[in-house]
Amino acid sequence: MKAVAADISDKPSPARWRRIWRDRNGRLGLLFMGLVLLLALSGLILGADPNRIDIPQRLAAPSLAHWLGTDNLGRDLTARISAGTRSALTLALLIVAASAFLGAVIGTAAGLFGRWLDWIVTAIFDTLSAFPALILAFSLVALYGTGRQTFVILAILIFLPQFGRLARARAQALRHQSFVEAERLLGVHPMVIVLRHILPNIAGPLIVLAGMNIPVVITFEAGLSFLGLGVQPPASSLGTLIKDGFIYMSESWWPTIGAAGTLALATLGSTLLAETFRDILDPKSATDVEGRA
Amino acid sequence: MTTAVSISGVSIGFGPVTVIDDLSLDVPASTTFGVVGESGSGKTTLLRAALGLQDVRRGEIRLMGERFGGSLAETRRRARVIQPIFQDPAAALSPRCRIGVLMDEVAKVLGEPRDALRQRLDEILRRLGLPRAILDKYPHQISGGQARRAAIARALLMRPRILAADEPTAGLDVSVQGELLNLLQELRRTEEITLLIITHNLAVVRLIADRVAVMQSGRIVEQGEANAVFARPQHAYTRELLNSWPATS
Repeated sequence: MKAVAADISDKPSPARWRRIWRDRNGRLGLLFMGLVLLLALSGLILGADPNRIDIPQRLAAPSLAHWLGTDNLGRDLTARISAGTRSALTLALLIVAASAFLGAVIGTAAGLFGRWLDWIVTAIFDTLSAFPALILAFSLVALYGTGRQTFVILAILIFLPQFGRLARARAQALRHQSFVEAERLLGVHPMVIVLRHILPNIAGPLIVLAGMNIPVVITFEAGLSFLGLGVQPPASSLGTLIKDGFIYMSESWWPTIGAAGTLALATLGSTLLAETFRDILDPKSATDVEGRA
Repeated sequence: MTTAVSISGVSIGFGPVTVIDDLSLDVPASTTFGVVGESGSGKTTLLRAALGLQDVRRGEIRLMGERFGGSLAETRRRARVIQPIFQDPAAALSPRCRIGVLMDEVAKVLGEPRDALRQRLDEILRRLGLPRAILDKYPHQISGGQARRAAIARALLMRPRILAADEPTAGLDVSVQGELLNLLQELRRTEEITLLIITHNLAVVRLIADRVAVMQSGRIVEQGEANAVFARPQHAYTRELLNSWPATS
């Protein structure tokens, strides 16, 4: 009997996760994100100081001493891009994970239970979405000052409604599906219905949205840093590196290429991985994934 | 004779529209009862109300003499009395769960040891002609006929007193329709359950129903022994349905 129980368990098998590698998009996504992670860690491995100024070496081309060249103050771009990537990835993952989790919980509850809860949640989402991101940023900075903490709160407020709305719409659609009604009529506990039958059917689009939002958060952070509202000097971010590189583009294009290339790799990699995750989490599309390999 | 489903003066509406108006109906226990009518006559709404999925504006519905509330405990009590077979049974099986996991949920709801439930499940699968390997499959990996039987197996695991089937033969070819109806009839006899069939297909009702009610625009216009209703229809709408039958069946 134990063998049968194991047979019919619903846990994701390692084989399912191996499909990421079998899928062409999954392989590319892993490769790109692997490169980005390698770059993020390279600064720590090499031990170079991202803030060490060396004016005689300013705007140097890539060499053995400076793999990606130097910026306008002679600072090592490998170390700076590495630090900026670490900062950007950490912030993006934290913000996207928090927004997705909170949005899924709040949106699912609003979609399933409806009535006054749905009304209140929808009103809050609409209000947050009605504010232009920059106006909200200025307001929060005026209230709480600049810094990472303010940026994290701001970004969660901006990105949460997207996840919440998606989860709410999916939950509303699933609420009257025959399989959810069948579970209810069987007397299955509502929490089990949500965790086993609703959330897995919502997770796919949320994961894709999260993957798509990672580069958006990175560029949003870069934009705010450009305006002086995000990461503060001398700390580096991909946004400030692109901006600094852009200013000295006529003298050297290495600073811009390095930071912009990293941003492009992170964007493409996270998008491809997110799409592959969506396919893998949906048993119906498992054959499609294998077909694309 | 005991009444399995007792519907008294029930009215159901959506906003300003009244879908079912002051409807009363008794379904005797251990019989096959057919509710027929054209699309939009309110058959499915009536079934959903009996299952507790639809609020009623007025009147009451009793199952095996009892009324049921909306709490989890009441839902579980009702689940032991009535179980549905949905029009699209494949859609009634959670798409991201293996069939076996869905069967195991019944053990948790009933508080029954899993081994005991598995023994009952083996017997039910055998009777329904389903291979045990189906437990390891996802709903989309089995045929429509197998999904229908899997849904029936899950319903039977609850040991219900009433099985309510909404258009049980929809989308099936004629030979599979016959097999399914024979199976439902056999289950009704051996398990001593009440079979409530909601359909627009007169052939289905004529084949297996002991009694029949004809619905039109949210009202019962005629009811009685199936043979009598089909042989001597009293209401103009029933005659109209019977006259249109050869063209639509």
